[in-house]
Amino acid sequence: MHAASASNPLAELIRYRQLMASLIWRDLRVRYKQSLLGMAWAILLPMSMMLIFTFVFTRAVKVVGGLDITMPYPLFAYTGLVPWTFFSASLLGSVNSLVANRNLVTKVYFPREVFPFSSIGSAFADFSIAGSVLVGLIAYFHFATRWTFVPSAALAFLPVVIFVQMVFTAGLGMLLAMANLFYRDVRQLLGVAIQLWMFLTCVVYPIKNDGSWWGIVAVCNPMTPIIKAYRQCILEGTIPTGGAFVSACVTAVCTFVIGWWAFRKMSHKFAECI
Amino acid sequence: MAVAVQFSNVGKKFRRGAVHESLRDLLASTGRRIIGREARSKRQLFWALRNLSFEIAPGEALGIIGPNGAGKSTALKLLAGILRADEGSIHVNGRLAALIEVNAGMHGDLTGMENIFLTGAILGMTRAEIKTKLDDIIEFSGIGDFIHTPVKRYSTGMQARLGFSTAAHVSPDVLLVDEVLSVGDVAFRHRCEERMREMVASGVALIFVTHNLEQMRSICHRTMVLDGGECAFVGSPTDAVGHYLKATMTRVGELSYVDNPRTGKTDGRVMGMKFRGADGGEVECVRPSEPLTMEIGFELDRDIERLTVETAIRRDGGEMMVSLNSRHQGITFKAPAGRHDVRIDLPAFPLGGGNYFAIVRLWDADRTQLLAETPYKFMLQVDDQGKGTGLLTLPHEWSALKTIEPMLANQKQSADAAPLETCP
Repeated sequence: MHAASASNPLAELIRYRQLMASLIWRDLRVRYKQSLLGMAWAILLPMSMMLIFTFVFTRAVKVVGGLDITMPYPLFAYTGLVPWTFFSASLLGSVNSLVANRNLVTKVYFPREVFPFSSIGSAFADFSIAGSVLVGLIAYFHFATRWTFVPSAALAFLPVVIFVQMVFTAGLGMLLAMANLFYRDVRQLLGVAIQLWMFLTCVVYPIKNDGSWWGIVAVCNPMTPIIKAYRQCILEGTIPTGGAFVSACVTAVCTFVIGWWAFRKMSHKFAECI
Repeated sequence: MAVAVQFSNVGKKFRRGAVHESLRDLLASTGRRIIGREARSKRQLFWALRNLSFEIAPGEALGIIGPNGAGKSTALKLLAGILRADEGSIHVNGRLAALIEVNAGMHGDLTGMENIFLTGAILGMTRAEIKTKLDDIIEFSGIGDFIHTPVKRYSTGMQARLGFSTAAHVSPDVLLVDEVLSVGDVAFRHRCEERMREMVASGVALIFVTHNLEQMRSICHRTMVLDGGECAFVGSPTDAVGHYLKATMTRVGELSYVDNPRTGKTDGRVMGMKFRGADGGEVECVRPSEPLTMEIGFELDRDIERLTVETAIRRDGGEMMVSLNSRHQGITFKAPAGRHDVRIDLPAFPLGGGNYFAIVRLWDADRTQLLAETPYKFMLQVDDQGKGTGLLTLPHEWSALKTIEPMLANQKQSADAAPLETCP
């Protein structure tokens, strides 16, 4: 049996799980080595974004009153920004993962999915750290303001939401990583596109389908129900059951299947094209 | 498991010419294609490897040599699964480890120890496996106390040592080695060779790609010469080296054969060199103990009052063996312009088994001016019948001067001696 023609891609991936763990560990280790604040950056980045948007929306343009939200704005922003940072970091990491690991791609054989997947893995580590701060944030707003937090069993649904997001990211990440291999423009384009995408998603303000083209685009975007689902599970105590979330799940699975299929099909060409 | 690796009619083609690097190029070239300025077929394909078939048994070491661009690395990459063959099939039995670029996965910011785990994982080892071998790896690398220092502070040689040490402790069934031993100091290179021999002895199938012919010969059982993507020769390492060098030298020779390389002027040219055995017949292979005659034919464009002829012989590993110069024998030739032959008679050619290459130089002894010079192109093989004596086959005799006392008698005496009393 040739190593490259393993019949079951899933079994092959499982065989290489320790490599994936090692690459994630390398990414984290390298990212936070030689930095004074180290892992704290995982918290500081979404936190500072939250503060910026809080300032913009409550002090600079004062539109918060007009936004239809039932929770303190910083909480709203943070619960949007943390999963969004996870999404954008995963995607930006994945898109560059093959090119950045060029010498591994051209010199050593192992399933190439390991690269985008481990980018998601290392972004997940940051996401977990940033997410844990949410507990303190909730406690602060619970005790310091009129807003009250009601613990709910819906929190148990959170892993499902995270999983759906990861499946979607992985599928998209594989497609983009591949595209970037052939045309390096993809990475530059993605940097801009992801900014735009954030404002088409309910990250820092809620989005309603008001029938306009903009509303339709925003609602069709699978990240909208996913980000919304985070708030529903954690803060509102409801399980996202609406059609939007289900269709996001379907989109995620389809993206993943297509992405993985194409990635597998093309992976033997990577070493030549890189 | 009779075969460790099997290549059957393997071919791999690459595209020559432009590969679109950015979207802008793609749009531009698509545009040109639509207009019809650039036909699609213009992007030529060429075969980097064609009709390559070979088998390797467990415990066998196959060397692959050949000029640059012969397809050596392509063959290894196909074998490692990095590239996929366009033709034919490749079968590998068991675990494969490729030491193509052992430092590929290393990260400068991580310590030596951390990099061992990373490289190990990349080469397919589990964490537990690396842990059990960690001490061996560190000891083999000779990195010592620096193991907790970031690798970016290592010297190039140290990095290579760390990489190879990790890779050398993967327990593969098939091992691919591509020119990784060229870095590292002599002692470490020696250790690597030992390690490779050990692995082969324990049943690992080894494929070794190198330009270091001496190293290849000391490790491999069989050697394949690749040239232009095809297998040009397979056989014993010495024969393969001979074949390879002969082909290379001839190619080089065609380029710079007649001109005097130093003056740029053509005063004469060497027409050829022949080797004759004891019976006077022309030979390509000689025994070290038998007489040998060398004949050198040349042509001069002007009269030379005092001509000296020199031939220098190198072994295939590059070692300069001997230079035979007529002037050192007190002989110069008074040679008018025209065609001449000279002869050198040797009662024996006491060199070790291997391939030898000769050059010829013609000198004007009065002006110490070089008239003509050939490249190392005249090949002679020495067959020492597998005795492997080294660079020389010295005529010698063994005899005993006196009977040597066997060690055993001494040992027996001391054993018979009374044991020491223990003091109360």
